[in-house]
Amino acid sequence: MRITEGLNQTQFLTAINALESGINQTQNQMSTNLQFTTASQNPTAAGSVNNYTQALAQSQQYVTNATSAQTNLSTEDNALSQVQTQLQALRTLALQANSGTLSNSNLSAIATQAVQIQNSLLSLANTQNGNGEFMFGGFAAQTQPFTISATGAAYNGDQGQRQVQIAAGQTVADGDNGDTVFNQIKTGNGTFTVAAAAGNSGSGIVGATTLSNPAAYDGGTYAITFGAAGAYQVTKGATVVATGSYTDGGTIAFNGVQVTLSGQPASGDSFSLAPSANQSVFTTVQNLVSALQTGVSGGASSTALNNSINSAINNIDQALSQTSNVRATVGGRLNSITTQQSVATASQTQLQQSISTLQGLDFAKAITTLDQQNTTLSAALQAFTLTQGLSLFKFM
Amino acid sequence: MSDVFGISVSALQAFQQAINVTSNNIANASTPGFDRETLNLTEAAPQSNGTATIGAGVVASGTNRAFSQAAANQLNTSQSSLGQLNALQLYTNQIDNLFGTTVGGLSTALQNFYSAFSDVANNPTSTASRQALIGQAQSVASSFQNASGEMNSLNTDVNSRITNDVTQINSIAKAISTLNNQIVTGTAQNGGQPPNELLDQRDQLVSNLSQLVGISTTTDPNGSLNVFVGNGQPLVLQGQTTTLTTVANQFNATQLEISNSASSAVISNNITSGDLGGLLAARAQVINPALNQLGQIATAVSQTVNAQQANGLDLSGNLGANIFSVSAPLATGSSRNTDAVTASVTTANGLGALTANDYVLSFAGGTPKLTNTSDGTSVTPAGAGTAASPYTAAGISIVLSGTPANGDQFLVQPTATAAAGLKVVLSNPSKIAAAGAIKSAAAAANTGSATISAGTVLNSGNPNLLAPVTITFANPPSSYSVNGGPAVAYASGGNINVNGWQVQVSGAPAGGDTFTVSSNAGGTGDNRNALAAANQQNVGVLQNGTTSITGGISALITGLGSQAQQINTAQTAQAAVNAQALASVQSTSGVNLDEEAASLLQWQQSYQAAAHALVIGNSLFTTLIGALNQ
Repeated sequence: MRITEGLNQTQFLTAINALESGINQTQNQMSTNLQFTTASQNPTAAGSVNNYTQALAQSQQYVTNATSAQTNLSTEDNALSQVQTQLQALRTLALQANSGTLSNSNLSAIATQAVQIQNSLLSLANTQNGNGEFMFGGFAAQTQPFTISATGAAYNGDQGQRQVQIAAGQTVADGDNGDTVFNQIKTGNGTFTVAAAAGNSGSGIVGATTLSNPAAYDGGTYAITFGAAGAYQVTKGATVVATGSYTDGGTIAFNGVQVTLSGQPASGDSFSLAPSANQSVFTTVQNLVSALQTGVSGGASSTALNNSINSAINNIDQALSQTSNVRATVGGRLNSITTQQSVATASQTQLQQSISTLQGLDFAKAITTLDQQNTTLSAALQAFTLTQGLSLFKFM
Repeated sequence: MSDVFGISVSALQAFQQAINVTSNNIANASTPGFDRETLNLTEAAPQSNGTATIGAGVVASGTNRAFSQAAANQLNTSQSSLGQLNALQLYTNQIDNLFGTTVGGLSTALQNFYSAFSDVANNPTSTASRQALIGQAQSVASSFQNASGEMNSLNTDVNSRITNDVTQINSIAKAISTLNNQIVTGTAQNGGQPPNELLDQRDQLVSNLSQLVGISTTTDPNGSLNVFVGNGQPLVLQGQTTTLTTVANQFNATQLEISNSASSAVISNNITSGDLGGLLAARAQVINPALNQLGQIATAVSQTVNAQQANGLDLSGNLGANIFSVSAPLATGSSRNTDAVTASVTTANGLGALTANDYVLSFAGGTPKLTNTSDGTSVTPAGAGTAASPYTAAGISIVLSGTPANGDQFLVQPTATAAAGLKVVLSNPSKIAAAGAIKSAAAAANTGSATISAGTVLNSGNPNLLAPVTITFANPPSSYSVNGGPAVAYASGGNINVNGWQVQVSGAPAGGDTFTVSSNAGGTGDNRNALAAANQQNVGVLQNGTTSITGGISALITGLGSQAQQINTAQTAQAAVNAQALASVQSTSGVNLDEEAASLLQWQQSYQAAAHALVIGNSLFTTLIGALNQ
C-alpha cells in the first residue's frame, strides 16, 4: 500500500491525540482519586454508586436520628428514676402515717411532706427536653401537660407517642406520653380494688387482696355486706354470690378473688369490690394528702384513715410498677438504639467499601498505566521524528 | 537525419512536461483535495520510409488524475457517519461532564432534602430544622432548574449549529453547481480532457459536504455531478441548486427543523447522518429524553412531597400546604392545524403511569390516535376528548376545546417542562406539616385492655377528616358503633375506616369502652408525617411503583452514562473506519514524496538521455556537413 506523507502525519496526530487524552484521563483519575468522574466512564457503576451513596447518607441520617432519640430517652429515664425516688419516699411516708400512733399534728406534718412530693412529681411530669419540648405531653409537646387541680392534676397532653426512624423499617419511640406514665395506673391490685363504704362504723380494714383464679373472676362489681357476728354475704347486684362467717384477720374468697380483712366490721358495714380503674398518680397523692389532712377523730375515723392509707399504698405500688415498666421499655429502646448504631456503623463501612471498590482508584494500577502511557507516547514521538527524517530528497 | 531532432525534441518536451507534472505533485502534496497526477505518454505516429517503420518520438497526451470514485464514495459515507457521531458525542460528552456522577449535584441535593425531613422528624418543634428543610427544598428545585437549564442551552446551541450547517451546505451546493458548469465547459474546450484541478475542487467540496450531511451522488455523462440529501431530495442538479432552509418545529417554535425549499416539506426525519444528522439526533435522542426524565423525577418529587404534606398538620394545626409546584403537562397544537381547537392534558393514573415519553395525538377520519414518539407505537385512546369523557391512554388524560379537524395534531409532553418549572412555594417554616393530621385516644375510664393505633390518613381530601369521632363498644364488646351509628362487628386489629382516616383497635375491649379520634391540632411534637416524608425517596412511585425517586436518579445517571459510553465507542470505531477509508483514498490519490523524487530522477535521466540523443544527432549532422565541406 502507498503511504503518503500526509496520511502518515494525520495518523500520527490521531494517535498522539488518543495517547495524550489517555494520559489526561489517568492524571485526572489520580488527582481526584476516583476511578471515574463522569457517568460515561462506567455507567453501571455510576448508577450503583448513586444508590450506595444514597444508602450511606440515609444510614448516617439514621445514626443522627438514633442519637437524638437516645438523648430524649436518657432524659426520660432520668426523670422516671427521680419519679421512682419520689414515689418510694411517699410510700415510706404513707407507711409511717399508717402506724396508728400518730396525732393529727404529726399526720399534718406528713401531709406537708406529701404535698412537697406531689409538687416534685408534678415538676418531673412537666420535664422539658433540650429543645424545650414537654417530654410527657404526647404530641402536644408545646403545651404544659400537667396542671394542678383539686383532685390531683389535669392532663392537657394527648396519647401520642413520637417514633424516630433508626434503621430501614425500624422505628423507636423517643418518649412516652404522660397519660401512659402517670394517668393510666390501675387501682388496687391491678385487677380489682376493694374499698370500705364511707359510712362503715366497725373497725374492718382492707388488707391484702389477691386474684387466686383469674379465670373465675368475671370482672364484675361485688358488695360484701356484714351482718351480726361476722356473718357476711357477697352480692352482685341483687344476686347473692356467696355467704360466710368472718373472724378477725380472715379471708373472704369467692369467684376467684380473695380479700383479707382485719378488725371487726359492724353489722351493716359493707365493702365493695370493683374492677380496677385507671387513676392518675396525682389523684392517688391528692387522696393520701386529703386523708392525712383530715386526720383522726375517734375509732371509725382511724379505720377510715387506715383504709385510705392502705389504698394509697396499693396505688403507689401500682404507680411504682408502672414507672418500672416504662423504664424497662426505655431501657429496651436504648439497647436497640445501641445495637442499631453498631449495625449502622458496620453497614456504613460496607457501603463505603462498595463505593470505594466501584469508584475508588487503584493507585498502583493508575501509576503503572500512566507509566505505560508515557512510554508509549515518547516512543511514538521518537518514531515519528525518525521516520520524518527519511526522505529520498535528502540523498539527491 | 531530421528524425533524430524531431524525436529528441518530442522527448525533451514530454519529459519537461513530466517534470512539470511531478513538480506540481510535489507542490500540492499538502493541498486538500489534490489528487496525484501522472503524465500520459504515448508514442507518436510512426513514419515509414518504405523499408522500415520507425517511431517518431513521444507525445504527452494529457494528465491522468489518480482518483478512485469508489474509494471517494466510501470515504464520504464514512465521513457522514463520523460527522453524525462527532456531533452526538459533543453533546453527550457535555452532558456527561456537566452532570458528572450526581446529575450536577441533584442526587446530593435530594439526599440532603430527605435527610432534612428526618431532622424535622427528630425536632418537629424546632424552627431551625424546619428552615433548613425549606433551604434544602430550594436547593432541590434549583438543581432541577439548573440541570434542565443546561439541557435547554444545549438545545439553543443545537439550533444555532443547525442554522450554520444549513448555511454552509447551501454555499457548498452553490459552489458545486458552479463547478459543474465550469467543468462541462472546460472539458469541451479541452477537447474532452477534463480540467483536473476543477474536478479536485469539486470532489473536495463533496467531501466537505459529506461531513455536514449524508449525501448520495450521481455523475451525468457530460461530467456534471448531482448531489442528493436525505431520502433522495436533490441538492444539486447539474447547474441548479435546491437550497435547504430552517423552519420552526410545528409544535415547538424554539426547535428548528430542516426544510427543502422546493417542496417546503420538513425533511429532518430523513437526515440521519453528517453533522446535521448528529445535531438532530442529539436533540431527539439525548437532550429531549433527558429533559423528560428529569421532569418525570421532578414531578414525582413534587407530587409525593405535596401529597404527604396534605396528610399532616402544620404548627398552626392546619392541613399542610404544598411545598413544591411543578409545571403542568404540555399539550401543543400543530402550527398546521386548520382550526383553533386547543388541548389540555393532565396526568391520569398517578405517578406510576406517568412516562417520560412524548406523544402525538392525531386525527384521521374522526378517529384519534396517540403515538408514542420514542418508539412509534400508537393506540386509540378511550373516551371522547370532552371534559366529561377525556381521552385517556398512557397515563395521561386529554381534553379538547372543540371538535378537531381531520389531520389536526397535538404534541403531548407530560414531563418535558416539569424540571424547569419546579419551584418551592412554601416559605413559612411553621407551615411544614410534620405532625399527623389525626390523633387517637383511649378514654381514661376504659376498663378493657384494648389499644388504639395512632391512625393514618387515607384521603386528606375528606371534608370531615379532622372531625372528632368516638368509637363506642357495645356490651358485650363484640361490636362497636362509630359516633352512635349502626353496630359494626369487632375484630381485633381490623381496619376501622372513617372520614378518610384509618385506625386499628386491638386487644380485648370491655363493654362501654370508648376510643376517640380527633384533630391533632396542638400536637406540635408529633413527627409522623415528617417521618413518612423522609422515607419517600425509597418508596417505589415511578413505573407502576417499581422505581423509587433514588432509583429514578440512578437510572438517569446510568442511562445518560451508557448513552455517552455507547456513542464514544461508536465514534472510536467509526474513526477507525474513517482512517481506513482515508488511507485507501490517500493510497490512490495522495502524493508520496519519495515516489515523486524517484520520478524526478527518472525524468531527469530521461531528459538528459534525450538531450544526449540530440547532441549525437547534431554531431552526426556536423560530421555529415564536415564531410561535405571537404
